[in-house]
Amino acid sequence: MNRPLIHVFRFIAFVLIQVFVLNQIELGWGILPMICPLVIFLLPVELETSMLMLIAFVMGVCVDSLSNTFGLHTSSLVLFAYLRPWVFKRFAPREDYELNKETNLFTMGTNWFVTTFGTLILIHHLWFFLFELADLSEIGFLIQKVLLSVIVSFLLCVGLQIIFVKKPKER
Amino acid sequence: MRKLFAFFRRFRIFLFFAMLQFTALYFYFTSLNFPRSQYYTTASQVGGSLWSFQNHITRYINLNETNSGLLRQNKALRERLPESFIRLEDRLAKINDTLYEQQYEYIPATVVNSTFDKQNNYITLNVGWNQGLKRGMGVFSDEGIVGIVQSTSEHYSLVKSVLAKNVNADVMIEKSGAIGLLKWETKNDKTANVSGVSNDIAIKKGSKVLTRGGGGIFPRGLPVGRVLKVSPIEGKSTWNVEIKLAVNFRAIQKVYVIKNLLLKEQQDLEEKIPVEKPQDE
Repeated sequence: MNRPLIHVFRFIAFVLIQVFVLNQIELGWGILPMICPLVIFLLPVELETSMLMLIAFVMGVCVDSLSNTFGLHTSSLVLFAYLRPWVFKRFAPREDYELNKETNLFTMGTNWFVTTFGTLILIHHLWFFLFELADLSEIGFLIQKVLLSVIVSFLLCVGLQIIFVKKPKER
Repeated sequence: MRKLFAFFRRFRIFLFFAMLQFTALYFYFTSLNFPRSQYYTTASQVGGSLWSFQNHITRYINLNETNSGLLRQNKALRERLPESFIRLEDRLAKINDTLYEQQYEYIPATVVNSTFDKQNNYITLNVGWNQGLKRGMGVFSDEGIVGIVQSTSEHYSLVKSVLAKNVNADVMIEKSGAIGLLKWETKNDKTANVSGVSNDIAIKKGSKVLTRGGGGIFPRGLPVGRVLKVSPIEGKSTWNVEIKLAVNFRAIQKVYVIKNLLLKEQQDLEEKIPVEKPQDE
């Protein structure tokens, strides 16, 4: 499951979807769904934080250079990668993480996924839109943007996993 | 010394994080105002080709609208051709016109990528410095002004659209002759604001807003939009003028880049003005 090829393929596919589909559609109310964090989230648990951040940085540069955001995606993805080990530790399951097992919706359970991924993506989106607006006078609009985008991104990420991730067999 | 190393080992992850974060954010905030490199944008070779490919697939969606726009413009130009006129005075010989000198040249371009719903919107064109584009040139479509060239690569260029902060084009309002700066602060891609219009000038709703031709970026009289709403700003002697933009940024396909042949002359002259910090409104 954790073969590197899957991650490379996912990396490329998610960048392309983000740039050519999600950045292009206009949902209104300032919604901008971002699914790239999911790739970072699904990287192996045992991966070092510095490596995680490096991958996030490269991914962010790819997205930024194709959508003229000059480092916004990079910055927020690096933050996401930096916080992931911390959040994983905080919400670790009782019998710790199993190595060689992907931390997706099905292997870790819905509750765990909602808390960890929800927390991380909320921080990610907040960071992104904070720097995009760069103006605290429109805090209402900022909150609206963050919350609505988080909901859409989260649902998209869940949907993508339901469609593409192989479900483990029932034991 | 050992303590220092221990400190670095302990915080190396955070330091690495801080370094990456600093790189990204530094680039973000400097690029907003002072772009230096085209490599990190859709005007780069790789980005440009990818977006050209995408445009190749999706351009058919707006083909109807683009065609009718070009047709309209063609009609207007055709009416000015010599064939469309009857010669009234046959005896006069035609002489070379020395009264007029060409000031502006136009470079046609195709939009390969554009956004309209972001905080700062950019447009990528399929022409670059190979075709003579330079930073700071104006861009307009047959509907009105579109933006200003921000950076160029060999075959592509990045245009900061009117739908971005700090575009500040010089505009004037027809009839009343009031002048102001074009600002885009709203989250709406259909409207913009004109700031700095003195409130002792009466401004009619619906009057045309045109470029003023200052700065040498746009020729005088290009359409910008129409006045939508005029409201007073409390405590200031200026109107808040809301205008409806002439250009439909959702369906922008063919544009022209303006090359001002006399720009250097104007700039050389204006350089002699003693420098003063511009006041904010």
